[in-house]
Amino acid sequence: MNMPDGGPARLHSGSISKGGRRRRSSSIIYVEPPETIEQLSDQVALPNLNANWVNNKGAWLIHPVCIAGLKIFYDTIPGVSQETSWTLTNITYMFATYLMFHYVQGIPFEFNSGAYDNLNMWEQMDNGDQYTPSKKFLTSVPILLFLLSTHYTHYDITFFIVNTMALMSVIIPKLPSVHRMRVVMPWSQPIEELDGEEPS
Amino acid sequence: MTVNMTTSSSSASSTAQFFNMDYEDIVALLFTMRDMAITQFHRIPGSAILTRYIKMSYQHDPARSVIELCLVIFAIRYMLSPKYSTQKKNFVKLRADEVDELIEDWTPEPLVAPLTEFEQEQIEKTPVIAGPTGPKVKLTNGRTVTNLASTNFYNLASQPALTESAISTLRTYGVGPCGPPGFYGTQDVHMDCERDISEFIGSQACIIYAQAFSTISAVIPAFAKRGDIIVADEKSSFAIQKALQLSRSTLRWYKHNDMEDLEKVLKKVEREFRGRELTRRFIVTEAIFEDGGDVADLATIVKLKWQYKYRLILDETNSFGVVGATGRGLTEYYNLPATEVDMICGTLSTTFVGGGGFCCGSNEIVHHQRISGLAYVFSAALPAMLATTVSEVIKMLRENPENFTDPLRENIKTFHAALAKTDALTVTSSVINPAISIVLNGKREMSTDEQDRMAQDVVDECLANGVLVTRVKRIALPAGMAKGPKWFGWNPAMAIKVYVSTGFSKKECEKAGGVIRSAATKVVGRKR
Repeated sequence: MNMPDGGPARLHSGSISKGGRRRRSSSIIYVEPPETIEQLSDQVALPNLNANWVNNKGAWLIHPVCIAGLKIFYDTIPGVSQETSWTLTNITYMFATYLMFHYVQGIPFEFNSGAYDNLNMWEQMDNGDQYTPSKKFLTSVPILLFLLSTHYTHYDITFFIVNTMALMSVIIPKLPSVHRMRVVMPWSQPIEELDGEEPS
Repeated sequence: MTVNMTTSSSSASSTAQFFNMDYEDIVALLFTMRDMAITQFHRIPGSAILTRYIKMSYQHDPARSVIELCLVIFAIRYMLSPKYSTQKKNFVKLRADEVDELIEDWTPEPLVAPLTEFEQEQIEKTPVIAGPTGPKVKLTNGRTVTNLASTNFYNLASQPALTESAISTLRTYGVGPCGPPGFYGTQDVHMDCERDISEFIGSQACIIYAQAFSTISAVIPAFAKRGDIIVADEKSSFAIQKALQLSRSTLRWYKHNDMEDLEKVLKKVEREFRGRELTRRFIVTEAIFEDGGDVADLATIVKLKWQYKYRLILDETNSFGVVGATGRGLTEYYNLPATEVDMICGTLSTTFVGGGGFCCGSNEIVHHQRISGLAYVFSAALPAMLATTVSEVIKMLRENPENFTDPLRENIKTFHAALAKTDALTVTSSVINPAISIVLNGKREMSTDEQDRMAQDVVDECLANGVLVTRVKRIALPAGMAKGPKWFGWNPAMAIKVYVSTGFSKKECEKAGGVIRSAATKVVGRKR
């Protein structure tokens, strides 16, 4: 781990020992350490089809199209008020993007011998670069949707709280300062070195 | 913009009178400016919507408006931030003169290290066979010696019937298919050969690879990936070790052929990975070990595999064709159906005098390898004549196996008996293994170089007495790497290797065994 400086210092934080994937038992925050040279070479062996499509033509357009589709869908359900319909649209979009960008880790294809297994899609996008055009777009869409949905729910306090929580769940994982950061519950299995040496 | 310009121009014209004005004049001026600004703002398209939105947003609840304002500010800040990379740059940026200096200083190491005296000596003394291989071979120096250094176990290498069939195949199919199996390389003889092997072994399907060494190193990485767990015997052969390394899986080693330790490791893995995402798990072992020549306890391994829910990859490189009542390998030896083992790999280049390797398993396991077995996808297919030769040998073995296995077993027994009469050596290989491993019993502790030297002396002594044997060759430890779970090398115990064949009579076996015994006694006695 003898690397010159550059990049956030938190990657050197004490929760990682000897560069391996090991969580200090008392800490609930775990930062994914930088990849080993073997993992890096597997990552670049073939293009990352899981994350590269966000930069393709039409990948941006699909977000407004999906949101409009969701809104129309919820409007067609009888007995759903405008307020509920907007809130449901908002929650569905936030939940779907959270699942896609922040919850699921790894790649469905076996092109990289599992070298992306520890990263979610947001971290895989643009090789982990921050403030790229796609990331800016994907951050602004939920904010706009939130402003719209709070507006059309006429500032009802319940709807407002629900919408804000949904928004926070997708905005916080997108922040550059939580890049590769995980919250590990104290009762869950510790993240440990999985490849190579046996834990001593 | 318009608003600002208006404000600034009006303030510019009024600067002169500014100090003469009283309070009311100033207030009036400010109101005028505000009204002008509002008028200009309303001229901007969409400003009405924005005004309405902000008016409605407020709704006597400033806290919510503050949250929304914060969000808008955050979004704008995010939009305007410059792109940066989180990848660590693990190199030092050098100036041009520093680069030149480094190039100046650099003296390249030789690509190949100069030979040591011992290596040079070995190259000079390497016997070269003139003509075809067989039980008796003629060396280039004119001498005829007994060949115990070839894996020609059933003496089929120069059998006229097989040679004939190979030649006729050559006339029909040419030398090589000149293409990978998935790309015009597969011929009917390959499919026949695969069917013959799977029927012989008793598995659902079979796939043939063009190289024996790369068979296992294609099979394991085709199934095991990063995050999967492999429990392997610590004395696994070099090919298996390379395969394990290529698979990038999580490795756990168990003590060589120690079933208690295997169970301990399996239990430990179960404890360690409880509550985690379930991944594929494999046990990898050789049937007959290259290092030492002993037999894996397949019955217990299969039992443990079912108990702990593992898949078993068995490398039958040294056992397929020679072990078991009819040569069907270790599964036959233990009276287990071949379907109990998930993947059986082996070679076709030794006993079957063809070339390449194979992997037997279920239809799914074989089909998966046709797309993801790298040595299958990216290598030219096996030459047709080697495939037909293998088919012919299997036919011969199925028709009358006792013609092959019985004499071989007799000869192995004769060798074991002939070698047992001295304390200068110990035979470590099993009585079912035709590749006999002989360990020399030096009286004192010896360095690896001394062991190599002593074994080479025995080999030389045997050759001088007309018996060609060989010894274990080790792969030097890469510099700076210590043996550990992450080290993949080949450092077996030093041994003399004797390959028994059915081509010898009992008398010849006794005589050759006697030569090896006396050579070992002589060399070991000298070193004491």
